[in-house]
Amino acid sequence: MSMDVKALEDDRHHRYVLNMGPQHPSTHGVLRVLLELEGEYAMNLLPVLGYGHRCHEKIAEFKPAKSFMPNTARMDYLGALIYNHGFAQLLEKAAGIEVPERVEYIRVITSELNRIQSHLLWYGAYLLDLGAFTPIMYSFDDREHILDILEDVTGSRLTYCYFRVGGVSKDIDEKFVTGTRAFIKRLRSRFPMYEDLVNGNIILQKRLIDVGELTPHICARYGITGPLLRGTGVAYDMRRAEPYSIYSKFDFEIPTGTKGDCMASFMVRFHEMEQSLRIIEQALDGLPEGPIMAAKVPKKLKIPAGDYNSSVEAPRGELSYYLVSDGSDVPYRLKVRTPSYSNLSVIPEMCQGMLLSDVVSAMGALDLVIPEIDR
Amino acid sequence: MDINQVKKQWQELSTAVEDVEYAVSGHDYNVCLECDKVRDFATLMLDEGFYLVDLMAVHVTPAIEVVYQFAHFETRCRVLARAFVDDKVEMPTISDIYQGANWHERETRDFHGVVFIGHPYLKPLILPEEDVDLKPLLKAEAKLKDVDAVRRKPPEPAPAPKAKPAPKPEVKPAAVKSQEQS
Amino acid sequence: METFYSILPELIRIVVCAVCGAVIVFGNALVMGYAERKLAGHIMLRPGPMEVGPHGIYQLVIDGLKLMGKQLVVPAKADPLLFRFAPLLAFAPVFVPLLVLPFSEKIQGFDLDIGLLVILALASINLLAILIGGWASNNKYSLFGVFRAVSQNVAYEIPMLLSLLAVVFMTNSFSLKAVVAAQSPVWFIVIQPLAFLIYLVSIVAETNRAPFDLPEAESELTAGFHTEYSGMSFSLFVLAEYANMFIVSSVATVFFLGGSSGIPLPYFEYSGIIWFMLKVYSLMFFLVWIRWTYPRTRFDQLMNFCWKYLIPFALVNLLITVVMVKLL
Repeated sequence: MSMDVKALEDDRHHRYVLNMGPQHPSTHGVLRVLLELEGEYAMNLLPVLGYGHRCHEKIAEFKPAKSFMPNTARMDYLGALIYNHGFAQLLEKAAGIEVPERVEYIRVITSELNRIQSHLLWYGAYLLDLGAFTPIMYSFDDREHILDILEDVTGSRLTYCYFRVGGVSKDIDEKFVTGTRAFIKRLRSRFPMYEDLVNGNIILQKRLIDVGELTPHICARYGITGPLLRGTGVAYDMRRAEPYSIYSKFDFEIPTGTKGDCMASFMVRFHEMEQSLRIIEQALDGLPEGPIMAAKVPKKLKIPAGDYNSSVEAPRGELSYYLVSDGSDVPYRLKVRTPSYSNLSVIPEMCQGMLLSDVVSAMGALDLVIPEIDR
Repeated sequence: MDINQVKKQWQELSTAVEDVEYAVSGHDYNVCLECDKVRDFATLMLDEGFYLVDLMAVHVTPAIEVVYQFAHFETRCRVLARAFVDDKVEMPTISDIYQGANWHERETRDFHGVVFIGHPYLKPLILPEEDVDLKPLLKAEAKLKDVDAVRRKPPEPAPAPKAKPAPKPEVKPAAVKSQEQS
Repeated sequence: METFYSILPELIRIVVCAVCGAVIVFGNALVMGYAERKLAGHIMLRPGPMEVGPHGIYQLVIDGLKLMGKQLVVPAKADPLLFRFAPLLAFAPVFVPLLVLPFSEKIQGFDLDIGLLVILALASINLLAILIGGWASNNKYSLFGVFRAVSQNVAYEIPMLLSLLAVVFMTNSFSLKAVVAAQSPVWFIVIQPLAFLIYLVSIVAETNRAPFDLPEAESELTAGFHTEYSGMSFSLFVLAEYANMFIVSSVATVFFLGGSSGIPLPYFEYSGIIWFMLKVYSLMFFLVWIRWTYPRTRFDQLMNFCWKYLIPFALVNLLITVVMVKLL
């Protein structure tokens, strides 16, 4: 086939190429990785992308910018509200629209709930890759509570299109607030069980510690951000580094690791769930009354000529939208810089010479969502 | 990282360094480069501790513009560096300096046809192998704009009309009153 | 004719034992299959099969019928004879060890003097079947599973043997009935706890159960050595796995837990089987429990654990046993 597989096989007689194909239980999505194996050791990895390419950036050049909002949700289905947030923020900054305070609070609460939901799914699915069949059931049980809460207010369970330019589409009510508070209490009571049964398990620790070590320098060269970067010790979080929305008002920590291995990013994501709960609590306590849509949002939203950038902290890392506008309401160029794209590009360097089981561990720790890589 | 120090080094390498208003445009500095200075710029950024956020291309009239976005882990400093491709639609690669650029450059080659000289494996990344000449994000003739059309318009004319209304509220009521009185 | 009549009781006995063996194998598969799915469900906070019959009791029966109705899809380049032969090779040897197990004092197929050797020898044939099946599939994933299965099974047979040998040294006999009889005052688990633990870990690895189920690791290898099998052949592999679990748990019961000894019930020479089954199934429950709780170990960690920890400990245990037997 086209990937020079034949050449790889002929060159090194004792190596063979194993295809972790687009359909595989542990590549989360349609990712194909060509592994050149020598026994159990992966000597060379070649990710093959593009199986989920849906031309989002081309679509953006043909639709008015406001109408692109549903597309943002389809790129990362797990962190859809945060993708919505980044895009809404981009257009609001560009057009000079100021959103009411209640909107900011609602956006923060729902985004953090979305982050927790994404981390819970990652948690369960990662452990499933490692062979533990039970924790996914427990984490999905917790996740269902979030999905129910968000479904009431946004109308969907996964690919949310809730934010609009200038506000949100529907207001939150008393049921949402009480439901969220009950959920915070419930999840906090579940964390000790996860710590005991899963995180402290000797087999899990042996699978994750010292596997796939990253350093801040590697992260700088590849553009790796998010929990992987924080696992190496760099406390770089968009919510703190370039505070957007009202994140500067809240008191929360940025969990970091030290070694940069799979265990470090695992624990960073686990502790981030607790920090998100803190943010949600503070936001619910300070939720003001007010309108849920900015005063004057034109139907045809003309964006002044120039280029604009909006960076937010997605569950997987830094998400940046870069918009080039020529003054009309249709973008001239929209680039979506997704975190999993840069995170995945490190695996040929990180996983070279690793055992196959470690490749699976390392790829799970990257927390990939393939649709956001292929866009 | 001392930003002034770094800015001086940028000014040596580049044709223009602009300060940009962060609240509106989301980045701090805009650096315009010649395509042969791109590699030196990238080496400088890596030494100063910047990470590569993004690498993409915009199709405008004099030539395709390749935009590099860098940001810093410790201080808030987001830099956009731009360079026009040369006549043969080529650009030197920075994938040996910033390995993350490897995939970004392959994608730019897919979508815009920009060939990066020195890239180790410039095969299609997102598009299938047979669509290597498709270049989907190149604009059609009718839609292609000049580079000035997509640049931010200078804000100078705006303060002048704003300056005028300020004295007016002081003058008009008096004039009206004097008119009414008279 | 006379010779025929003189050996007729033996013939009848052989036939009865064979039938009972078959009943045990298939009955065990039904019970264990259902128990595993129900237990897995409850561990995962869900009820498990509930639809087919009250609380899903008939689930395995219907599954068996379904699998029998499926076609065995033979891959084009697979070795046709070996591909079809491997499941049979996995399944056939499970009947013989059942003939040697002492289910109670009177209920035993054949009390061979080398009973233990028969069981251990036939348990190794399962590995050969996996090797043949994985190789004949002409599939890189299957081959991968086979590499791992062979290394793992060969390695873990050694601690299994060594821990059982410690007990054999104490009783001076390979006959299973003698081993049960030697446990009259106190079970061997009290005298040889280390051997019991080592044996327990080894049987998890021998039967390819989690956390040592690398040969069939779903998330890494898409079902490993039985990727290409479907229908009845696949179910033969599964039947063989459950039967192997039964056999190794029975050996553990006989060697460490006193066999059929327990609180005397009426007709204890025959009703001792109830205690025997209780002990065997509690060990199998333990095997199911740890499968659904722990993640999978990495392959080199698995091998390190065997060669660097289990085997030295088993050897030391054997040495101490020998010394103590000599002294006492």
